[in-house]
Amino acid sequence: MTKNTIGSIFFLAFSCFYFLNVFNIKKMPGNQFEVMSASTFPYYIGLAGIIISLLILIFSFVDKDGERITLNYLKTLDFKTTAYFVAAMLFYGFTIRSLGFIISTIIFLIIGFVLLKEKNMKKILLISVGVSVGFYLLLNNVLGVYIDPGMLVEYFVGEES
Amino acid sequence: MMEGILQGVSTALSSYNIMMVIVGCFAGTFIGMLPGLGPISAIALMIPITYGMEPSSGLILIAGVYYGAIFGGSTSSILINAPGVAGTVASSFDGYPMAKAGHAGKALAIAAYSSFTGGTIAAVFLLIAAPALAQVSLSFQSSDYFALMVLGLTAVAAFAGKGKFLKAAIMTVFGLMLATVGTDSDSGLPRFTFGRLDLIDGISFLLLAMAAFALSEAMMNILDNKEQTQKEIDDLNASIGSLKISRAEIKEMAPTVARSSVLGFFVGVLPGAGATIASFLAYGMERSFASAKEKLKFGKGSVKGLAAPESANNAACSGSFVPLLTLGIPGSGTTAIILGALISYGIQPGPTMYVDNPALFWSVIISMYLGNLVLLVLNLPLIPYIAKLLTLPKKLLLPLIIFFSLIGVYLVTFNNFDIYMMTIFAVIALFIRIIDFPMAPMILGFILGGMMEDNLRRALTISDGSLAFLWERPITFTILIITVILLLMPLLGEVYDKLKKGKA
Repeated sequence: MTKNTIGSIFFLAFSCFYFLNVFNIKKMPGNQFEVMSASTFPYYIGLAGIIISLLILIFSFVDKDGERITLNYLKTLDFKTTAYFVAAMLFYGFTIRSLGFIISTIIFLIIGFVLLKEKNMKKILLISVGVSVGFYLLLNNVLGVYIDPGMLVEYFVGEES
Repeated sequence: MMEGILQGVSTALSSYNIMMVIVGCFAGTFIGMLPGLGPISAIALMIPITYGMEPSSGLILIAGVYYGAIFGGSTSSILINAPGVAGTVASSFDGYPMAKAGHAGKALAIAAYSSFTGGTIAAVFLLIAAPALAQVSLSFQSSDYFALMVLGLTAVAAFAGKGKFLKAAIMTVFGLMLATVGTDSDSGLPRFTFGRLDLIDGISFLLLAMAAFALSEAMMNILDNKEQTQKEIDDLNASIGSLKISRAEIKEMAPTVARSSVLGFFVGVLPGAGATIASFLAYGMERSFASAKEKLKFGKGSVKGLAAPESANNAACSGSFVPLLTLGIPGSGTTAIILGALISYGIQPGPTMYVDNPALFWSVIISMYLGNLVLLVLNLPLIPYIAKLLTLPKKLLLPLIIFFSLIGVYLVTFNNFDIYMMTIFAVIALFIRIIDFPMAPMILGFILGGMMEDNLRRALTISDGSLAFLWERPITFTILIITVILLLMPLLGEVYDKLKKGKA
């Protein structure tokens, strides 16, 4: 399949989903007297999305020279590490409030460096701890942005008043 | 006007703002040098830092980052033949061969002097053009603005390149769709929120920009799994040689720089065109002006071949600020991000900004010039050292870029739902990158979406629901005619090409 075919199918599906949801937008009483309701603009852009993605799809079948996504190309891509990174990002989002900024950032950076095959553990720890503590101090003491350091830090250092 | 300029000068020349220009130029140069990370990513990464600043300081920092990123892109184009920015691809045609021949320092100096001159000429043009256009645009009404936004979005698709018109168009529509998520500004009704309170305020532009550019670019690097080659590391570690350029070379490049700067500025003003098209056009123009003997040098280290795209891309950057500052309509992905930043500072660019916020308006223009000066005086001599930073392995840089992207967005709302949403958008953006659809039109559509809907609603209300405003107002009608011409040209060309290929 060509890149354009795949892309057009994705955008066609998205546009259809969007267009169908336009009809779920609530209407205000007296809506019929308004020149433009909350669903007017989305209705037309949804329609435009469907038409344009259909055009790309049709042309992708006409154009035989379109760039294809081959299995060989896909094999060169490192999906496994990327997927682990996505999981690490979600995990970071999950832990940033419960573990706090410092601990969760250290964990995220360590996971990141290890996933990208950095072997020097001393370097990993130094950068992870340095960046998270340094950034925390910069935010709190220089930029005046308060960020929760997390319960573990509060337990050891005590809660800031 | 004079009063405004003086206010702008005093704002731009305050020690804090000068520091912001310097910091912006350095940060931009470093980020712009990293292959894959362009000015949009650089600006997106810096925006969270600017939230605590005065709008003028924030915008000055962002302008510095913009110029720095373009300069950084040129540096990696010249030193390792890996342009960090599309606008500096043309610089590698002659810059890299020059560096390979042992004249990297000279190539960098030519690039810096050309960029500086291009930026200076464009700053003077901007000084004249921006207030004039702002005066004219004071008479613009909602219908004209709506038409201008349609023109801007169409132009981005039209200038996207051969065979990319429809792809850019669907990405623009995708951006418009994302812009409608959240509460409708007129009726207060929720749209596409699926009952989630986190979506009531809509999608934050910073979140989208960061996910679509900085984060997805970093993830693309992970997916690609390509470490720097030994050759690239050797190129970076090699001595760059003398930064001096001879009088004969200055004489040779002077007319080229002047021509390319003027061309670059005007291309930059056009919505949708920007630095990339300007640099290629300038390169092509110089090649056609060159004598048969000089033509042979192009692609092998020609001074003119390097000076032309460098002056043009910098001039285009200044030019792209004209529609942004005077009409409030960005003409490129980068200026769209800057518009988003301005809106989040509570400033609506446009003709009224020139009247209401003269200090901000002029300080940005003056700081652009300062930015060019900083790049020349400070960045150029430090390039050998900044370039060494590029030898930092990706396995250390990428997790840090991802961290800064995530935390930059989180710090604005302190809502971890934003991190989840960013991750999802980054995955979608990664997919879009793999299938090779352009990302900049999406951010432009997203930024303009809300304004477009508001202006259309206002225009329809004024004309009592009739679409007659489209052809009754001469300005609106003229803009729409230009839009139709722009729309039809590539579309017809594309249809013709595809049918021809299909028959063959």
